Amino acid sequence: MSLTLNERTRFMLALIAPAVLALAFFQVVPILVGANTSFRDWSLHDPQRTWVGLANYAHVLADREFLRVVLPNTFGFMTASVACSLVLGLSVALMLNRRFAGRVIVQSFVLLPLMVAPVIAAIMIRWMFNDQFGVVNAALGGLGIGPISWLTQRWTAFLVILMTDVWLWTPWFALILLAGLQSLPPEPFEAAQIDAASRWRTFRYITLPMLRPVIVVCVVIRSIDAFRTFDIVWTISGGGPARATEVFSIYAYVESFQFLNLGRGSAAAVIGAVTIVIFAMALYRILNRYVEVSR
Amino acid sequence: MLKDKGAALFRRSCAGAAGLVLAGGLFSASAQDRELKVGYMKNPIQDASLEMMQKWAKTQGVKLTPVPMAYSVFMEKVTSTLTSGADQFDVIWHNDDWGQLWKKWLDTTDDVKGIENADQWPLLAFWNDDKKLTVVPMAHTVGTFFYRSDIVKPEEVPKTFADLVTVSQRLQKEGKAKWGYVGGMTMNNTWFSLWWTMWSNNCDILKPLFERDNEKLKAGGFEPAVTEPCHREIVEYWWDAINTHKISPPGMTAYGRNEANAIFMAGDAAFTLVDSTHFGEFNDPKRSKIAGKIGMAPFPMGPRAQKPTSWNEIWGWAIPKGVPAERKKLAKEMLSAVMSDEAGQVEMWKKTGGPPPNVKLWPKLAAGDKDFAALKHAVFDQTPITHSAYYFAEWPAVHRAYSDMAIEALSGKREDIPKVLAAHVDKIRRAATGN
Repeated sequence: MSLTLNERTRFMLALIAPAVLALAFFQVVPILVGANTSFRDWSLHDPQRTWVGLANYAHVLADREFLRVVLPNTFGFMTASVACSLVLGLSVALMLNRRFAGRVIVQSFVLLPLMVAPVIAAIMIRWMFNDQFGVVNAALGGLGIGPISWLTQRWTAFLVILMTDVWLWTPWFALILLAGLQSLPPEPFEAAQIDAASRWRTFRYITLPMLRPVIVVCVVIRSIDAFRTFDIVWTISGGGPARATEVFSIYAYVESFQFLNLGRGSAAAVIGAVTIVIFAMALYRILNRYVEVSR
Repeated sequence: MLKDKGAALFRRSCAGAAGLVLAGGLFSASAQDRELKVGYMKNPIQDASLEMMQKWAKTQGVKLTPVPMAYSVFMEKVTSTLTSGADQFDVIWHNDDWGQLWKKWLDTTDDVKGIENADQWPLLAFWNDDKKLTVVPMAHTVGTFFYRSDIVKPEEVPKTFADLVTVSQRLQKEGKAKWGYVGGMTMNNTWFSLWWTMWSNNCDILKPLFERDNEKLKAGGFEPAVTEPCHREIVEYWWDAINTHKISPPGMTAYGRNEANAIFMAGDAAFTLVDSTHFGEFNDPKRSKIAGKIGMAPFPMGPRAQKPTSWNEIWGWAIPKGVPAERKKLAKEMLSAVMSDEAGQVEMWKKTGGPPPNVKLWPKLAAGDKDFAALKHAVFDQTPITHSAYYFAEWPAVHRAYSDMAIEALSGKREDIPKVLAAHVDKIRRAATGN
């Protein structure tokens, strides 16, 4: 068998080469370096780089806080954020898919959160929910409620973080789902109209099933992204009070860059990466099967 | 003939170009030797210290390139630069919090002229294993008890924890202040509430109490002191301050220094405790409603203390070992000039509230400046019971374990405080031993 590549293949390889090189240098190599670090005694201030095998992994997996607080928080946050953003994003998309006066203005307004950097949004939210100066407590005070110290208790702090994430990501869901809605063929909807189907039945039995492939992609992508959320949690609560809102990425960051234990932090990162890969594959399969069944 | 002329012209052009390149190279090499890069954190005090450096650099024809970094990434970034041996910075900001972490990677500074005028007490964190110094002080960072001088007379300033409650409640009752005391409490702000009261109640984090010799702490197994009565008392004190006496805001367990300072500067609290380096900010009329109405006093004492304590540490500058010898020499000359720049140091104090690193200036300054006199009385005239941090590599993990414990105890029921403190003993010990 000849290994000579024809001109077309060479051309194609040349086209993808820059992307492959960039991916290799900026994704694959750092992942391999990180994985190598996780097997070593590697403190940032005095890197001995001694091989310690699975000791760092054993430490992270034996850490009660990691298993009982960090992982449940991470999955809880991911599930709640994705579910809320999906429901709200779909509602907004359905609203924007209808013709009404000022639709373009509303559409631009709805998309505004997408233009805000998450860390800026988080700083803003932290002050909005401040118990002394916050606009939220001021508004609630007008209604005779409060004042509430939002960030001093687990569930209120968690709620603030969740609301911020949902606020930031609902427009993303809305945008993608709106594109999906606008690409649906009109015939089934016309047939439903002729059959005098109600709006709810049209949505339940035509729109939703036809939109499911788009929803699956949105949910999988966003779940992976929500799993690694760092900036808004770090800025709003720092993982507190007393680790009550700590998520996986904060655990890895603190180990690596506050405790300067790169080995342990890298092990936590690898565990997180493996977890999310398994979770994403399972989620994709389940949702994909659901889509197939619904067709 | 024409060909020969052309060849000669070509040779001359090449020689000329080579000469230019060589000269350019030499010039740039020389310019590079006369350039110093300073890695620092954007902060009024560091800016003021940089101004002194700039002043020296101008007179010496040295190009000074400041490289600002955010506090949140500073230590990590500079640590990785130091351990990689890169000479990215010639001078870097140095802090007692990570003094011991960098000792292997920094050049010694005992030979910097003017270092003999520095206070010796805060230098503990900066000695390397050969007992050589690795820092040149920039300014003192001292915890300072601030009060609103427009509503509290000097003789009314609380001297004990109990006074703090009584005076606060009176001011609240009279409608002069919404809150009595406000201070940061979250991780990295523990000093401004829990820790100053801990030291003011003759207590500490690890046993033996007040010990900072790592060998002795190791011999003691890094045993936490958090279940000692002196410690339980301060956690209960803050629980009561927030929940029973209501002299501190209910959200204080989630405050960093920004929130606490904002409340104090808005005129909503009568007392706070924070580094003296915030004095300039408190007195900035553009940012603070209480500018010009701020007094300083010694820390109130807990029931177990006989006299007020204080903490007195420094920020400094350091020179990485990887810096070439010529630039090291230049950097030391510059730091020496800063240590000797009395006018610059006085200016730094006036602009920012950063006490000068040259202690010989203090009596002169106190004689002519009522604010410095007040600070001297509040802090420098008091004897620190110990240093305001521990100086071993696992200290950040200990700090975090402590902070989690304290916030959990303060967020729960009062009767559960001893249980929460006891439950965290092992966590703090494991954090200290790296397990």
